[in-house]
Amino acid sequence: METVLEVRGARHDYGATRALDGVDLDVGAGECVALLGPNGAGKTTLVNLVVGLLPAKEGRIRVCGGDPRVAATRRRLGVVQQSLGFPTTLKVGELVTGAAVRAGVPRSAAGPVLAELDLTDLAGRRAVKLSGGQRQRLQLAMALVADPRLLVLDEPTAGLDLTARRRFWQLLAQRRERGTGVLLTTHLVEESSAVADRVVVLGRGRVLASGTPDELVARLPDRTVIARTALGRTRLEALPGVVSVRADGEHVHLGTRAPEALLRVLLAEDPGLADLRVESAGLAEAVAGLVERGAA
Amino acid sequence: MNAKVFGVELADELRGIVREPAALFFSIVMPVAFFALFVSLFGKLGSGGLSAGTTMLTTFGAFGVISVVLMNPGIGVAADRERGWLRAKQVSAVPIGVTLSAKVVASLPYAAGVLVAMTATAAITGALDAPVPALLRILGVLLLGALPFALLSLAIGFQVGTGAAAAVLNAVLIPSAVLSGLWMPLEIMPAFFADVARFLPTYHLARLALAQLTGAPALAHALVLLGTTIVAAALAAVSYRHARS
Repeated sequence: METVLEVRGARHDYGATRALDGVDLDVGAGECVALLGPNGAGKTTLVNLVVGLLPAKEGRIRVCGGDPRVAATRRRLGVVQQSLGFPTTLKVGELVTGAAVRAGVPRSAAGPVLAELDLTDLAGRRAVKLSGGQRQRLQLAMALVADPRLLVLDEPTAGLDLTARRRFWQLLAQRRERGTGVLLTTHLVEESSAVADRVVVLGRGRVLASGTPDELVARLPDRTVIARTALGRTRLEALPGVVSVRADGEHVHLGTRAPEALLRVLLAEDPGLADLRVESAGLAEAVAGLVERGAA
Repeated sequence: MNAKVFGVELADELRGIVREPAALFFSIVMPVAFFALFVSLFGKLGSGGLSAGTTMLTTFGAFGVISVVLMNPGIGVAADRERGWLRAKQVSAVPIGVTLSAKVVASLPYAAGVLVAMTATAAITGALDAPVPALLRILGVLLLGALPFALLSLAIGFQVGTGAAAAVLNAVLIPSAVLSGLWMPLEIMPAFFADVARFLPTYHLARLALAQLTGAPALAHALVLLGTTIVAAALAAVSYRHARS
């Protein structure tokens, strides 16, 4: 499989703070790789290196074999940002045509991509008048108009409803079949589990784990115990078999490989335990566990 | 390829101004209205062989051009930065210089419009006594001499928000205009104003424009503006490198 993104030993510092510390990452043609991790893990820095906004202090970043800080390489790169604000005066058709010219392809490339993303009827409308889903489709159209080999998606579906999210990923699937690689950053872990071929978990600027969503889930707790409890976080983390603790409103999610033993201790220690249930652990618990291990 | 991209960038900027002209409207109307008021009151008075209305064309003209090129690109770049549009341009294949040049060039037709409106006002009130070639030279000098102000505008736009940009740019524009004698002749102001004015590029731009009418030496004014352009370009470059995202 052709590699469209190659990151080797990437390091970047902000003053005395190390944001990335020797990160390796590959994205193949047609592959979708999701970048997960808590705030401050280094995701944004890595994305900024990949799209050529920052130079790596050390290491090597290559998009289709070229340096992303060079304009010719960036023509092979499409970017969808989280909540981009379009100029208030420009119309959908003008924006996509402009993106085509900027990327060095004919203006006529705009028509087919507008049709592909169901935007033809909106071509004469100002971009600021579009709904959230339409705006993200417009960004995707601008990113795809030059048929990039690599798409970098930064929280592309944040704020979209389920229908708009599904539509977004359906449209993208067609491009992936044609060989466009995708680097995705998102906080929607379950969504990345559904759309990504591989997941890379970052923590404190390092790669904590990498693999398919199923591989990551298999490495860490296979059950999640969910309950309302009066026990504090420190105590919960110390309970036997607990791998991860995640608060979710009034409930806590405890990742574990030994749910029976954990339940016995929980019931003994907290007579007021309520809303108790046990579920199969998902990618969210696996990522939480990996991050906690990485922080330890 | 860059010429095509520049065309698209320029077209986008001009569309922006044409479709939502309110912001630029005030930077055009205010100088022209001021000029109309002063030229109708004092335009026919004599001043060194020239009518005051013709002389005022250089001082108010300098103010009008600076007003347009100082306000428009800086506020535009601040707005683009806030909405993430500047980042979108930075990650595209377009050299950022092309994007920023388009912002500056897009304001020039409006700056020229200010000068044409002032010239027409002076002519209508009978206060204009300069030949067309001299008027064209004034137009060229003022538009070219506006470059350092456009660069300063970009430098400020990279550092502050949209609302603050308007305030900061006005805080630069208005005192500079007053101290440089762009509104009221320095001859009738306290001597302090003239002492300060010689350090201001706004003063030198107006004097360079006036030299097109009087034939006075212009080299020193041109050199000051050239130096200011170099400093403003360096400021804009540093400001861009450290732009808030």
